[in-house]
Amino acid sequence: MIITEKLTKKYSGNFIALNSIDIKTSKRITSIIGRNGAGKTTFIRILSTQLAPTSGSASINGFDILKNTREIRRSVVSIPQEASLIGIMTAYEQVKLYLVARGFSFKEAGDQANKALDELDLREFKNSPADTLSGGMKRKVFVAMALASNADVVFLDEPTTGLDPISRLEVWSAIGRIGSEVILTTHYMEEAQQLSEDLILMDHGNVIEHGKPTELLRKFDGMLRAETHEERNDCIKVGGTFIRYIKRDDAEKYISRGFTIKQITLDDLFISMGVFLES
Amino acid sequence: MNLKYVGLMAWYYGLKAIPRGPSYIIAALMTPLSLLFIVFIITKGELVKFAIVGGFVITVASVALSSAGDAAFMRLQLRMQDLYVPTRVSPSDYMLALTLSYLMFSIPGIALYSILGVIFHIFNIIAIFVLIAVLVLLVIATSSISFIISGMIKHVRNVWGIAAILSVAMTVLPPTFYPYNYIPRYALYVLSISPVTPAAVIAQSIFHLSPMLLLEVPVLILETVVLFVLARFLTRWREN
Repeated sequence: MIITEKLTKKYSGNFIALNSIDIKTSKRITSIIGRNGAGKTTFIRILSTQLAPTSGSASINGFDILKNTREIRRSVVSIPQEASLIGIMTAYEQVKLYLVARGFSFKEAGDQANKALDELDLREFKNSPADTLSGGMKRKVFVAMALASNADVVFLDEPTTGLDPISRLEVWSAIGRIGSEVILTTHYMEEAQQLSEDLILMDHGNVIEHGKPTELLRKFDGMLRAETHEERNDCIKVGGTFIRYIKRDDAEKYISRGFTIKQITLDDLFISMGVFLES
Repeated sequence: MNLKYVGLMAWYYGLKAIPRGPSYIIAALMTPLSLLFIVFIITKGELVKFAIVGGFVITVASVALSSAGDAAFMRLQLRMQDLYVPTRVSPSDYMLALTLSYLMFSIPGIALYSILGVIFHIFNIIAIFVLIAVLVLLVIATSSISFIISGMIKHVRNVWGIAAILSVAMTVLPPTFYPYNYIPRYALYVLSISPVTPAAVIAQSIFHLSPMLLLEVPVLILETVVLFVLARFLTRWREN
């Protein structure tokens, strides 16, 4: 269980990366969604003891991230967003080395590394140097580290960014096999919807929404998304598209005005962040 | 201390990496062998024993100093340090693991200089043990310099230039390939800023090539301790 109270991170120039975050999460997979710069990575780096907060507190399974650093480091795994494998080392060597770093014996680390790599269908590539693996395989090697670690909490920072659709599906499947509590950041709605039981929406260092996907979508009950490419002042502008949330009963009216009508998805939570919804 | 991690990292990233990237070995040997050749030609073989003893020192120091680039690459590009912060690995373990890995790349150079040492009859048992101790201190001190630099660098491309400058300034200028009493005493003390200088002076002394300058022994030990402690705190294990 992760609990944060008024967790704040300010950088020089008074830039606020995290603004007094209060959350409590204990679901198996929680997704943190937000645009670039929303504060997702800062949040994860503070929780996994890589970055010190400016103020506030946080605890993981009762251990304070500042007072019980040693215990936290032993119980969490954090796979950084831009982490890359060492090109000249094999997948097996990197997983085994990581497990030894977590306190496993050589034999146990070797056995668990083999088991995790086999489980993630990397058996035939496990003795290949990492720089010969595809992007998806490399991410799966990191997931194998998390899978084999037996950690209480696993933080995955944008685990599928930059991957092709097939690799993304493979990584999703791999994440689903991790038995620990998983906190992952993403800006893919589909990923969050597919994987998580709990969603945290962040923007400019603030938590905008927090809850189950179905609960968060409840405020859109009876509504649809109307889109047009014609410039309008009463719509939310997303690139070249102008979006408005409308009552289901008004759909015909908007179609006649040249709007395209779409069903509500988790994308709409993201689009409507901080935006007043049409009543 | 997580010695299992230190040993396994040295095995995988050091020894096993040698056949996978042999160019590093050749690169590590280039400067000391070139200087040995130049010293041999210019002094008509007169200073070749200095060059052999200096070769041990420069091989270890140049590998450790050039590792600043690798350490910065691991931190900034591969995010390896971030991966290992939430584990049972301490900053000292991480530094020792990488240092030991880099030291593996010095082994062929050390072997080559050992053969030359036998050919030119410069070895004696006590001197070998003292030399090993000096090289261990030197690799810790120079690797610490690398970690300090890699921890301060914000963009990885800046580190390659700095590492190249340091490698030459801290290994070629000190009396590694010439007798330390060729230069004025004040210059020797200025050059002692680099741990390579006391290491080279001690090495020349123990092989009876130059008189012993005992002051350089505490200088080397002190520099090693100070640099290691500084590196320990500047590796940014938990950033602010």
